[in-house]
Amino acid sequence: MVREATRRGVLAAAVSLPLAVSGCRGIGALGTPPRPQPDVAVVRDAIDGETLMISRYNAVLAAVPGLAGPLGPLLQQHHEHLARLRARLIEPNPASRPAGSPAATASPAGPQVPGTPAAARAYLRRAERAAAQTLLAQLTAAPPSLAQLLASIAASEATHALLLSPGRRAG
Amino acid sequence: MSASLPPLAAGAAAPGAARAAAPAAAVGALQAALAAEHAAVYGYGVAGAHLSGARQRAAAHDWEVHQAARDTLAAMITARGARPVAAAPAYRLPFPVHGSRAAVSLAAFLEDRVATAYLGVVALSGARLRLFGARALESAALRAAGWRGRTLAFPGLEAPAPSPPARGPSGPATPGPSSPGPASQSPAPTGPAGG
Repeated sequence: MVREATRRGVLAAAVSLPLAVSGCRGIGALGTPPRPQPDVAVVRDAIDGETLMISRYNAVLAAVPGLAGPLGPLLQQHHEHLARLRARLIEPNPASRPAGSPAATASPAGPQVPGTPAAARAYLRRAERAAAQTLLAQLTAAPPSLAQLLASIAASEATHALLLSPGRRAG
Repeated sequence: MSASLPPLAAGAAAPGAARAAAPAAAVGALQAALAAEHAAVYGYGVAGAHLSGARQRAAAHDWEVHQAARDTLAAMITARGARPVAAAPAYRLPFPVHGSRAAVSLAAFLEDRVATAYLGVVALSGARLRLFGARALESAALRAAGWRGRTLAFPGLEAPAPSPPARGPSGPATPGPSSPGPASQSPAPTGPAGG
């Protein structure tokens, strides 16, 4: 019995030794919220980008209601992008997101958009191309499956730009 | 004996085994993309035969694009010390192609498959390979949208079931995830993974 107790004592000492060595650093880490993983930041940026695209489409549709037919399917796909990206993010407290991100700074009235169909389509076309480029720039920062999703969404947005080109009918 | 068009899942292994020095994941993904390009080259030959005018010219253009992509991929695979997969002598089409509408659907289908194959390259760890895969995926999605006249929310990730555009049953295809593996001589159905 004494032997057994002694062995337990040795084991306990062995387990507690690393904790003792890490000392105050361990206590400090417990008190600080963990920093978001890099891919969480990538997903947040992509979510902000999709949210901005949706607000642009909504602003265009408010200004040029006649574009509802051709733009409807494209807007729907942006909603699908947004839902898929949000499904990748589990945020315990969404209100604690850092300020200064596009979604946080976007004006509540929505972006200013052109009022004619041709100009509005050109505006959205440029926005789609820029959004696709932004996603591609994040590719290397993402883990493999997220990189695939970003690349797929970027490709979708590139096709949106194609269908928004002059002489093509979107939808 | 014809091979089915390549399965959706990327990652067909190199025949004869990649050398130990070759990055196996990269070679596997590139081989899957090459297999899809082989199938596209074959399929555009079929589609072009049923098209005329501007659409035939578009098919001829895309056929050449896929030939160039095939050669690029073969060179990339060779540079990694592996032997590029060969094209099958013939490929089983996902549905009968007897007219222009089915030919256009076939072209869109081929691009969907190519897009999915390049998505396997996007999952690789190298930054340059990722961007190469993403740009090739985008090009395939643009061609698919051009043929289809509409866009997809998730090119490469989710493709519509292969079916001719209008009347007629779509054949005995049983949509479902195809098992990863060599595309050649596989009797697996050509249906894409539903989404």
